[in-house]
Amino acid sequence: MYALKTLAKQYVRFIITAIGIALCLMLMLFLLAIYYGVSDASVRYVRESDADIWVLQRHAANLLRGTSLLSVHHGEMIKQVKGVKSIAPLLFFTATVNVPDNTASMHLVGYDPATGKGGPPKMVAGDTLRNDDQIILDYTFAAKYRLKVGDKLPIRDDTLTVAGLCEGTNLFVIQFAFITLRKARELLGFQSILSCFQVMVESGSDPIAVAANIRAVSSDIAVYDRVTFLNNNIHEAESGVMPLLYVVALIGAVVLTALLSLILSVYVLEQQKDYAIMKALGSPAGFIPGIVIQQALMLAASGLIIALLLFNPMLDAVKRFSPTISAESSANQILIVAGGLFIISLLSTILPLLRQRRIYPLDVFR
Amino acid sequence: MNGSNNIIAAELVKVSKIFSRSGNEVTALNNVTFRTAMGEMVLLLGPSGSGKTTLLTLLAGLQQPTRGDVFIFGRKVQDYRIVELQKIRARQMGFIFQTFCLLDSLRVIDNVTLVMKFAGISSKAARVHATECLERFGVGHLRNEFPGKLSQGEKQRVAVARAIAAGAKLILADEPTGSLPTEQGMTIIEFLHKSVATDNISVAIASHDERISKYADRVLHIRDGILT
Repeated sequence: MYALKTLAKQYVRFIITAIGIALCLMLMLFLLAIYYGVSDASVRYVRESDADIWVLQRHAANLLRGTSLLSVHHGEMIKQVKGVKSIAPLLFFTATVNVPDNTASMHLVGYDPATGKGGPPKMVAGDTLRNDDQIILDYTFAAKYRLKVGDKLPIRDDTLTVAGLCEGTNLFVIQFAFITLRKARELLGFQSILSCFQVMVESGSDPIAVAANIRAVSSDIAVYDRVTFLNNNIHEAESGVMPLLYVVALIGAVVLTALLSLILSVYVLEQQKDYAIMKALGSPAGFIPGIVIQQALMLAASGLIIALLLFNPMLDAVKRFSPTISAESSANQILIVAGGLFIISLLSTILPLLRQRRIYPLDVFR
Repeated sequence: MNGSNNIIAAELVKVSKIFSRSGNEVTALNNVTFRTAMGEMVLLLGPSGSGKTTLLTLLAGLQQPTRGDVFIFGRKVQDYRIVELQKIRARQMGFIFQTFCLLDSLRVIDNVTLVMKFAGISSKAARVHATECLERFGVGHLRNEFPGKLSQGEKQRVAVARAIAAGAKLILADEPTGSLPTEQGMTIIEFLHKSVATDNISVAIASHDERISKYADRVLHIRDGILT
């Protein structure tokens, strides 16, 4: 009661503090949403592929960072391995394209539209490739550069037409775009070069056993079953710039702790006389610390409510402003932030509680 | 009322209190022996800086003597644990201050019930009894007001109600009339005087106001830390 009344008495400060807490929480929620959004989007292409086995150049372990160069000859060898049903050759390379009033980089994926293997995980507009002069763009890339189905996109010495838009291909710093394998080789200038092979095993065959068989036919390739390859990519996605987001979130948490601690200390200073009176009148040992903790939790709860009310509209606005930002919020993230906030609230009471210990009942008589 | 039942509420025996200020020792109380019994009102009369407030705070167990012994309800103050002293101040002592010391952010009724809460009285019972106490001192109609809306005299009546509400046996009043016009000040003293009789409590008043003398059962003069 006393805690609430002292907060309510200075309601402008209470509101400003709650908004400050809310902004810190929104920052933390936003960074978490980016972390999970980007982590998920970075590996979605691999996750949604129906390949049983991935074959790359020796020492290459993922699609996100690293170079893998194979030849068509490797494909011929893999096809002969027992248990292999089919293979899908893919060619990846980064290209700079001319977009309206700008240039942009994209991660081009050359695949065989006839089989669809290694193509876009999910189309959201337009159609799949029908000829070599078409390209499928990630929809966030298209939104960012205001491109739409039917637009022309100059790439190197060629010009491709946007056939469709897909999703699940946004790696945050770069986006996938899909062209035919033939066009990819043409743009790259090497006809026999490939990046990797997706391998589908025969029904009833054990992919791990088939992977071992493939390994046996060549020493200059790296062969991964589906789960291992997915984990490799997840690890790569999470070990890049992602930890930086945690550091920024941590800084946000520290700032929030300092902010709350400062405000609570101000309340203690302002209520110094009241606390001295309470101590003189025989308040139990935990009564005044209880007030400080209640104030911390009330401020934190108010900030959390404001943050939850504003977060989704803010996220929508950010996505509209910058479509390539992959951010996915979830109840789990809210629980993480709420739990963190509870701990922050308690930590922020340490200094104010030490301060109130230096308030003496004798002060009332002075 | 002459402390007829002779039960001692609090007692100082050859107490000295010396403060150290800027390297100099200041004697606030010098070999003072004092007692206050149930059913009596004792007035400590002395000018500002004479040591009367120090004496009250020693009686309340808020500080320790440099020399001598302080007894609160028959037990040496050094023998109490801090928690026990807190409980005694909440349950058996009441305080009245010159500046009233009401909590401005709480309503009048909540000011009174808060202290009863410290004494371990349930919220419901505290509310009923607090209302009775406020009515007894003529401020029952103000129970839902905030202290800032009250006159000085009304504030001190609330303070008296707060001091008595939790069933205090010993009331320590530090310059209770100091901030009040003469008539209101004497009204407060009359209230306390009546309470001594009706509630069989002990009241120790520290003041420089000689007009209180006529209500007191005993008047002790204090000057430069020496009681006469």
